[in-house]
Amino acid sequence: MDPSQPGHFMLWVDAVGGFLVCLADEVTIGQPVPCRAVDVPILADISSRHARIIRDGESYLIDAIRQVRLDGRAVSRAELLANGSRIVLGEGVRLKFRRPHALSSTVRLDFDSRHRTQPAADAVLLMADSCVLGPDPRSHVVCRDWPNEVILYRHGEQLYCRTSGSFEVDGFRCKGRGRITHNSRVEGDEFSIKLEEI
Amino acid sequence: MPEQVAAVEPKPNNSTPERPGDSMPDLPPSAERAAAKFVYASGSQPLAGYTIKRGVGHGGFGEIYYATSDAGKEVALKLVRRNLDIELRGIQHCLNLKHPNLLSLFDIRQDDRGDTWVVMEYISGGHMEDAIVAHPNGMPADEALAWFHGIAAGVAYLHDRGIVHRDLKPGNIFADEGVVKVGDYGLSKFISCSRRSGQTESVGTVHYMAPEVANGRYGKEIDIYALGIILYEMLTGRVPFEGQSVGEVLMKHLTARPDLAALAEPYRSVVARALEKDPQRRFRSVPEMIAALPAPAQVPPGAARLPSGAAVGLGVSGGASGGLPPLSGHAVKAQVVDEEPIYRALRDAAAKLRTAWTEANLATPVKVILLVFGLFVLLASWQVLIPLAIMALAFYGLYWVIRKSVVEHHGPVTAAVRPAVSPQTSPAAAAPGRYGPAYARTRRGRPPANRWHAERPAAIMVLRPPRERFAQLVGSLLIGAIVAVAMSVVMVLLFSYHNARPGPEQCAWLGLMSIAATWSVLVPSKFWEGTRGEVSSRRFIMMLIGLALGALAFALAATLMVELPYTRNFPEPSNYRFPAAFYSGGRPLAMAYMACFGTLFLVLRWWRQADPLRNSRLSVWSMIVSVAMAAVVASAWHFPQPWLPMVAGAVSVSVQLASPWVHPNKRLRPQNV
Repeated sequence: MDPSQPGHFMLWVDAVGGFLVCLADEVTIGQPVPCRAVDVPILADISSRHARIIRDGESYLIDAIRQVRLDGRAVSRAELLANGSRIVLGEGVRLKFRRPHALSSTVRLDFDSRHRTQPAADAVLLMADSCVLGPDPRSHVVCRDWPNEVILYRHGEQLYCRTSGSFEVDGFRCKGRGRITHNSRVEGDEFSIKLEEI
Repeated sequence: MPEQVAAVEPKPNNSTPERPGDSMPDLPPSAERAAAKFVYASGSQPLAGYTIKRGVGHGGFGEIYYATSDAGKEVALKLVRRNLDIELRGIQHCLNLKHPNLLSLFDIRQDDRGDTWVVMEYISGGHMEDAIVAHPNGMPADEALAWFHGIAAGVAYLHDRGIVHRDLKPGNIFADEGVVKVGDYGLSKFISCSRRSGQTESVGTVHYMAPEVANGRYGKEIDIYALGIILYEMLTGRVPFEGQSVGEVLMKHLTARPDLAALAEPYRSVVARALEKDPQRRFRSVPEMIAALPAPAQVPPGAARLPSGAAVGLGVSGGASGGLPPLSGHAVKAQVVDEEPIYRALRDAAAKLRTAWTEANLATPVKVILLVFGLFVLLASWQVLIPLAIMALAFYGLYWVIRKSVVEHHGPVTAAVRPAVSPQTSPAAAAPGRYGPAYARTRRGRPPANRWHAERPAAIMVLRPPRERFAQLVGSLLIGAIVAVAMSVVMVLLFSYHNARPGPEQCAWLGLMSIAATWSVLVPSKFWEGTRGEVSSRRFIMMLIGLALGALAFALAATLMVELPYTRNFPEPSNYRFPAAFYSGGRPLAMAYMACFGTLFLVLRWWRQADPLRNSRLSVWSMIVSVAMAAVVASAWHFPQPWLPMVAGAVSVSVQLASPWVHPNKRLRPQNV
């Protein structure tokens, strides 16, 4: 993993939402501070290095640096995260850990409490190999009105986009699949997404 | 299927706002492009200072984007479609509306292409449609009420500022961290009719549209109608009027009755009234509709705040950080009551009679005839009434003494809060503390035991310089004299039913006494005019004046050799055990005169009838009270009737007609009443 390449970007999906996508295997969750690189900055009363979520192949662990509760019980060291786990950071930050798509180890973190990331996103995606956007409720990003799925996936260091039909990536016409960067704009007939590096 | 939707926090994954859900698949979809396509791409900057991040949805007027300012402030940008004429100037007063339940408008800008953008608050929560979709059979009553109270508070504020929303629907209502926000208000008002013919009209709107909107003439009742539809939809999961086309839905709005069987009371009757076809039969105002509904179990922050002047029936429980509703003087007036019940009942009855009289709207001649008739009746039953009255007074006095001693023994009476008479029946009586003299609310004749209570003029009077007042006084005296003579003639006519027309000396006595008494009321009143003063000291001074008047009356009677005859049926004075100084040979002596006049002037607050800030120029009621009081005083002192009442009546009318009176419109009102 190239350390100079940022490990996260904002994914703006028109008419659906904005998502913080993290690519690294290890993400730090904490308060946003200017000096330190926090992968998932949350505007909340938590430490700047509050917890880490580590991806190990197909499974995820949470490493509690500060006070973390998992499904009601306190976490002293690393614990395994399962689909539907409820994480509480500090006193009030409540997250829900979900792995909606069976074929992908990308997970989604939603806020049960009213806290938000900085910059504000509707959810956090810890992207493993792929990210599915589509009408299916098991997609990582549920887009109710889209006729087809759009899949963002990684191959090596590179990001790609795949969907049925033709679409445009930064103005270039692609069919089936196209290479995208962290600042690309992908437009199809029925969808429009934008990646923004942060 | 993932997590259920909590109270007012729908899922953030919102798609096109105007697709109301599965209940209406038949209506054609709107927009020229697919739902997820937007004119501006992420990253574009049509407006200086803002960067669009993504499109959010398609509203009735155009697309909505999520953008951030250069510093990172989140806003929603609404692009108003080019084919709509929009008056920018007209929206200006919507810009500065502020309410916790209204989505804030920040600015309205034009970009280089000439498009108009509305910069407004961005709500990250979803809108109400998601909550409705999540409850296909209706949401729980508490949740619906929480939404409704928030929406209603926002709409009530708009109505209070004279703005009709015109486009209330779940797509325009959001939940921002539990606070309900109503958006898109006022914008529809300023867009000309050209949009109504367009086919790109948002189709969701028609389900919430009141029938009279089709005619073009409508007011804030259409919002009440929309609120009714929204309440129905929240509780049942579907709208009351559905159809295959816009026309069908409109026809149902105009003619069909909604099926309210699924609603329980009180919602059923509330919705029924809100959905009346005739706008005049609906609720008159949003607070009225709120009052008909129960309060939500937990008042959401900000939702409790209705615009001031509205009666609020909410019981605020547990952390209403939005603030308690400000109470208006009309709805509830906390009045400390420590007077005992019989007196209070009598006073209430008297007040009701007064208001009924003033509101009867009779022509003046009719009033006069009625009064005269009443007087005749009274006089005819003189001999029965007076002893009865005296007995009642005696008993009452005993009761009062006993009660006072008992009550004081048991401790002070706790002050009770008593709501004022409802504003519909007696607007004048219900709020006199604001714009009328405060005298009307103080108790007559019985100042509280250990307190000198001062009279406070509620309206301020500008005191003229002394010279002008003196001139005024002289004028009043002249007028008073003339009127007094005239009134005494009237009195003579009134009282001569016994065929015992008073002789000329008696008339002269009457006339002169009236003049003297009128003057002796006008002069001190002039000094007291417009100032505060203690009632008791004024009474005392008036009593002294009365004593002097009595002496004068005696002197006059002696000089004119007037015999004031007793009326035929009045008992002879020789049966009474008054001291010799009072009566000799059946004729009242000086002491009797002085006692009568003194008492009369003590008991009534004559200066009130000369107050420039009194309620009306000539109050017939005051005259009646004066006459009645004089009658009671005279019979108490066994003075020959009906001379004292005649004097009293004449004086009352003369004083009122002679003293200056400021029309209420010309009065200065103090800032804090």
